[in-house]
Amino acid sequence: MVKNVKAKKATDKEPEYIHIQIDKPRRYDWSTGKYVGHFYAEAKENKRIMGGRCPKCKEIWLPPSVICPKCKVEMGWDWVEMPQTGQVYQYTYLVFPLWDPHYGEKWANPYASAVILLDNGVFYRHRLEETDKDKLRVGMRVQAVWKEDYDERGQGPGDILYWRTIEE
Amino acid sequence: MPNRVGIVGIGQTYHAARRPDVNQAEMVAEAVRAALEDAQLSVKEIESVFTANMETFEAIYLPDHGMASEVGALGKPGFKVNTGGTTGGSVVAEGFYMVASGLFEVAMIVGFEKQDCGDTTAAISAAATPLWGKGATTGAIGEFAKQALSYMETSGATEEHAAMVRLKADRNACKNPHAHLRLGLQSIDEVLKSGYLVWPLRILDFCPQSCGACVLILASEKKAKQITKKPVWLVDVEVVHQEPFRAGVFGDPTGKETYTQHVACERLYKRNSITNVRKDIDLAEVYEPSNWEEMNLYEHFHFCEKGDGWKLVEKGITEMEGEFPVNCSGGVLATNPIGATPVIRVAEAALQIRGDAGEHQATKDIKTAIATALGGPNWTVLSLLKRSL
Amino acid sequence: MADRVGIVSVGQTKYEPDRSDVNEGELAYEAIKQALEGAGLTLSDIDSAVTCSQDFWDGRTISSMNIQHVVGAHLGHEDKVAEDGANAVFCAMAQLLSGHQSVVLVVAHTKESQAERSLIENAAFDAALVRQLGLDFVSAAAMQARRYMYKYGITAEQCARVAVKNRGNAKNNPFAQEPMDITVEDVLSSKLLSSPIRRLDAKPTSDGACAMILTTEEKAKKLTKKPVWVLGVSNCYETHYLGDRDLADCGALSTAAKKAYSMAGIRNPLKEIDVAEICEEYTYQELMWMEGLGFCDRGEAVRLMDRGVTKMGGKLPVNPSGGVLSGNPVNVAGLARVAEAALQLRGEAGDRQVQGARIALAHGVTGICGQHHCVIVLGNS
Repeated sequence: MVKNVKAKKATDKEPEYIHIQIDKPRRYDWSTGKYVGHFYAEAKENKRIMGGRCPKCKEIWLPPSVICPKCKVEMGWDWVEMPQTGQVYQYTYLVFPLWDPHYGEKWANPYASAVILLDNGVFYRHRLEETDKDKLRVGMRVQAVWKEDYDERGQGPGDILYWRTIEE
Repeated sequence: MPNRVGIVGIGQTYHAARRPDVNQAEMVAEAVRAALEDAQLSVKEIESVFTANMETFEAIYLPDHGMASEVGALGKPGFKVNTGGTTGGSVVAEGFYMVASGLFEVAMIVGFEKQDCGDTTAAISAAATPLWGKGATTGAIGEFAKQALSYMETSGATEEHAAMVRLKADRNACKNPHAHLRLGLQSIDEVLKSGYLVWPLRILDFCPQSCGACVLILASEKKAKQITKKPVWLVDVEVVHQEPFRAGVFGDPTGKETYTQHVACERLYKRNSITNVRKDIDLAEVYEPSNWEEMNLYEHFHFCEKGDGWKLVEKGITEMEGEFPVNCSGGVLATNPIGATPVIRVAEAALQIRGDAGEHQATKDIKTAIATALGGPNWTVLSLLKRSL
Repeated sequence: MADRVGIVSVGQTKYEPDRSDVNEGELAYEAIKQALEGAGLTLSDIDSAVTCSQDFWDGRTISSMNIQHVVGAHLGHEDKVAEDGANAVFCAMAQLLSGHQSVVLVVAHTKESQAERSLIENAAFDAALVRQLGLDFVSAAAMQARRYMYKYGITAEQCARVAVKNRGNAKNNPFAQEPMDITVEDVLSSKLLSSPIRRLDAKPTSDGACAMILTTEEKAKKLTKKPVWVLGVSNCYETHYLGDRDLADCGALSTAAKKAYSMAGIRNPLKEIDVAEICEEYTYQELMWMEGLGFCDRGEAVRLMDRGVTKMGGKLPVNPSGGVLSGNPVNVAGLARVAEAALQLRGEAGDRQVQGARIALAHGVTGICGQHHCVIVLGNS
């Protein structure tokens, strides 16, 4: 809705500026497409993390795509299941709430976002369960925690709630 | 034979956090008028107008259309480009191609952003693919925090070095009347006392969100020599994009990936016979969203050896009076209207070459300068400027 | 300019109302693949890419990030033009003529089905004064249609004939979304969108992508036996506020056309151009743009159409592909016109071929009531 702030009486000093605020959300309906769609389907149906392997350079791409960005060739349909454990390669810890512009949600605050090196050498960026920054360290081992309810899944990477620290 | 391209007019607004007194079109018109006055041209002599802006920041669709009259684009050719943080760099590159190709003799380049109109962090977070980003993106600041962490670990730079960079930026900005943040910081302690935004980035370590516009007028060699006695030659540009790194966005903690900065500067230097960077180039205006990134960029652009970026800072080499001044304008740490920022880098480098930078003019004589642009995810645009061909 | 720029291959996806089976990158790749195969090139041979998409339509800041990998822009050169796709050809031409690039891939993509058109278009209007009126491009176009019809005495029935012609032409175009055998009555009884524009007077929601490869003259001759040369190109801005101009006039289009014709050496467009592909998002626009392009005087386009000049087999067929009315997404529309014009000049337009076409015109339009026009003249000799 458009909100008009009425200008107060102008004084000799600074004029009062009228601000027009428009708070209308825009709806989008994004298609995952074939490749990311396969990731979403496997995550929802089987709670598996799937990466695509390039036929030329054999690198595994997460998220998967139709063309290997490095080789610039078509990826084909060669899928590799990712392990569900790994170690924290790098992390950052945020204490201010951010708006997720795509889903209109305010992210929990504070939270840790990490680059996780999965056990097969592929990187995966996601959130950590741990919210106490003193307990976070590079190298700690983590495991994926899924949404157990089938009907709640279907969000792709969002089907994994976070990565939980596993005690050694 | 392609035309040679000269910068004949430079105009900027006085960048600020909020500009409630103008709408987008009026703000840009200020910079346009300043550039026309600088070049002593009338708007009739401008043949084409190319605009750069990230429309998601202000939520205005087709902003270049909305200001067609105010900017002088009415009845003239032109279009808008949009490539993220490097938008301003891309539009300078497009203007360069347009004039070099002979399609136009005079082109006006407009970069602007009015960030008080929207939520910048949300808009930057929206650069993540909606299919993949849920919960994992952290906005630009989280990414630069990670980059800073990597840099600290691999190079041995300390928070004091980062603070020195911040002090340099502020000292220089205080001498630049157009800069946005002119804080008058006095000491390293003052910087180190400011709170952390996202560790290890402090509030003062990161660029602000500004409202501002910057306009350049480019002309072919023949026209440039008619218009002004002091054209600054835009000799070359290089644009390099990439897919996001697997383990980061602006920094790669694995050390295995290729950086666009390396690819871009290696290509640019080779084409222009630059072998000893700090001797063949006199000054740099780099796009540094954080002070840590500035030190890293010194290494990326081969201003020094890998791991030695902080040493340049420690020795004062990149100060305004130094041997290789960097960001005499205060850089992005002082002023950051995203669509305009790369254009400001080119504009400031050109002012230095012309000797028109007033109080923030570098001490040594500047004959060759490089201006850089950085965008998401780690895209680079470089421009090389010279006083004589 | 010593050198010319040539189009060596084109690719289009079939335009459909909803391509939810692919994301933006995969969709663009369908078109890019055709263009690459047509030129016998791979992504590694591309020097530079010029993409065309809008952040608002993709719902993603830096929408070109969706397609970096499919245009081979990893550690490569890419630029995104945020206007209609025809302008991307202009941009590519500058890159090639400057001597800095020699093989440029141009691609435009939009998935209109993913976004809320009205809200996006509403955001183009002035936030302080006009947005609250709830205008979008259809309602603004309706005002322009009314003005045009009033000034020159054109009727809705006459405008409807454009739809009959173009949708009929679309039957010959395998890429078209809405080929139809309709009558004027069908158009006039279709659902009213914004008076006087009805459903069949307007372009539908569409998903698709279009790609082409442009190179310098020397390379073009090596890559293909049938290069299509870009002989003239220009674009132009109009005023923004609807009240600042006579909506029945399209001065910006005339300015752009004049410049493009003079570059191409065309003095009499009606005589010298063999086929025209113009962006008619709504039926009245085809008539207006024909006048702006100098085919006839203002208000006379209807007579040109009624004399059969613009139909298949006429002196200057307009939109043998079915045009935008038969389904082209925003951004892609102008580039698709260039692609169709190129196919005509290569003799590869199948059932919609205009025999012996040597000079073609392509046109793209962006913005409210045609605020920005781009005109491209192509030739094959």
